[in-house]
Amino acid sequence: MDPTTAMYVAQGIHGLAYGMVLFLVASGLTLIFGMMDILNLAHAAFFMLAAYFCYQVLSMTGNFWAALLLAPVATAFLGILLERFLLRKIHAFGLMSQLILTVGVSLVILAGVKIFWGTESLPVKIPPIMSGLVMIGGMDYPIYRLFVIGLSLVVLAIMALLLYKTRLGKIVRAAVSDADMVNALGINIPLVFTFVFGAGIWLAGVAGVAIAPILTVYPGLADQMGMDAFVVVITGGFGSLTGAFIVSIIFGLLSSYGVQFVSSLAPVLMFAFMAIVLAIRPTGLFGERE
Amino acid sequence: MMNKRIQWILWVGLIVILTFYPKVFGIYYTNLFVTFAVFAVYSVSFNLLLGYTALFSFGHAMFFGVGGYGTALALKHIAGLSLLGAMGIGLLAVIIFALILCPIVVRVTGAAFSMLHLAFGQLMYVLALKLRNITGGEDGIGGFPIPPFRIPGFVSIDMKSPENFYYFAIVVLGISLWIMWFFTKTPFGQIQVGVRDNAMRIDYLGFKVPQTKAVVYVIAGAFAGVAGSVFALFQNLIAADSAFSIMVSFGAVINTLIGGMGSFFGPVWGTAIMQILEEVTTRYTDRVELVAGLILILVIMFAPMGFVGWMRILKQKWLAHSAPKVKLEKAS
Repeated sequence: MDPTTAMYVAQGIHGLAYGMVLFLVASGLTLIFGMMDILNLAHAAFFMLAAYFCYQVLSMTGNFWAALLLAPVATAFLGILLERFLLRKIHAFGLMSQLILTVGVSLVILAGVKIFWGTESLPVKIPPIMSGLVMIGGMDYPIYRLFVIGLSLVVLAIMALLLYKTRLGKIVRAAVSDADMVNALGINIPLVFTFVFGAGIWLAGVAGVAIAPILTVYPGLADQMGMDAFVVVITGGFGSLTGAFIVSIIFGLLSSYGVQFVSSLAPVLMFAFMAIVLAIRPTGLFGERE
Repeated sequence: MMNKRIQWILWVGLIVILTFYPKVFGIYYTNLFVTFAVFAVYSVSFNLLLGYTALFSFGHAMFFGVGGYGTALALKHIAGLSLLGAMGIGLLAVIIFALILCPIVVRVTGAAFSMLHLAFGQLMYVLALKLRNITGGEDGIGGFPIPPFRIPGFVSIDMKSPENFYYFAIVVLGISLWIMWFFTKTPFGQIQVGVRDNAMRIDYLGFKVPQTKAVVYVIAGAFAGVAGSVFALFQNLIAADSAFSIMVSFGAVINTLIGGMGSFFGPVWGTAIMQILEEVTTRYTDRVELVAGLILILVIMFAPMGFVGWMRILKQKWLAHSAPKVKLEKAS
């Protein structure tokens, strides 16, 4: 295979891996928003926190799989505490208060991270089994990125099964369209809310662990991923998982090919794409409401 | 009228205090006050959108930045430009910028509006960092000449002295504040409040809702731009981090929220409180983020109407011991 094609494919793999991780973060965000009308600005902070947890577990046990298991769960637990003890109390004050509260929480998380782990970036080693390259069809692929894509697909499949094949999924989907009505039918909606919030944070946590070896762990992680995830949710349409998936993949590819061809303007491409979509459809690609 | 006389006395007192402030407190606190005034005007202009029209922008810093960069670029590239000319160019830039955004942003409301502004604000930040040959990248634009304030054949005041600049800034920002206050009292300002409370009813009454929003949007942007351009002149530097960064946008939100968004002067109080807190916290600890975050959480949980709302509740309790429970206005 000639080098040009190889380059295209390699950039494609990079883009897909980033796009899938982006989707993990954005899906939690859009799920929480679609169901609870909460725009969780602390979402990216939880994502970053999971990366730090991953570093911590890894430096204590040296086992990447333990980190992949424990870090997202620990993050989700903190998320549930946030929902149960802070967000629920101010639900009546509307969107604005929730935005401010979550900004406050993300500032506290950021400060906490700086206190416990400092500000310099911490390296996370790719586990030895996945550190090499694999030869498929005469080309070398970095195994870890393929693993990230695979992991995201597995999580995606689990989520789809949960949403579309179980009773709980049915309740969640019903609550997305009308939470009050579902509540009136005798289903404990606050409990479902807590579960969905926790699940959303868990997804961000998985993404945080997956990205830690690629990007290293540093406090700026939240800003970078948070902004991308918000743009995905806006462009894909609030509350739409399909939209979030498609736009995440587009953004992943856009950013990796963008860096290749117009490196200085790569971050702008994403926003330009968003501006075009919103100018045509103010609700986003697949959004049905504002 | 007793009330009117007290008002006059208060006004005169305020002017006297402002006049002698630099003489009494010295240069450090004078500069601190200019910073406070800049961010007070900026926060009030933000509140014009949020408190009066219920448009919650998470990217108000972009107007601040465009105003600042407009003024700085004008002074850097046009030789012999007057002070007011440079500010005028900054103002023009920000008005044009707001007019470009208008058609897109007035069509959306609620969360979409906030997120759109978050994204546009971030876009401006990235552009300011990346278009290095225009904006100077991370270093920003600094060291541009600051012309004296000159009315030909009348006065020429050197603006490099902090004390003179203090008076200039206070006058410009005071006038901005007054114009915004006046604006909210006009019939148009009342329509604006109507749009906030019930946009559909305003629509049925025959007023044009998107156009009303657009006008408010441009005015709010313009005054944020004025604040930004005074800030650029004051620092003799404008950089992406101090003008376009997300923290500047959040600053307006925080000030407004702390002060209370239900009132015109709430953001001014909020700015003062946050400035004092920042002064105190930076003196004792470098964990400013932690303190800011905790304050936000505590305010939202326990005083969702902010300082002004809290004062109102206290006042009512004080005036009538058996005052009825103050209803919390729904904040959205």
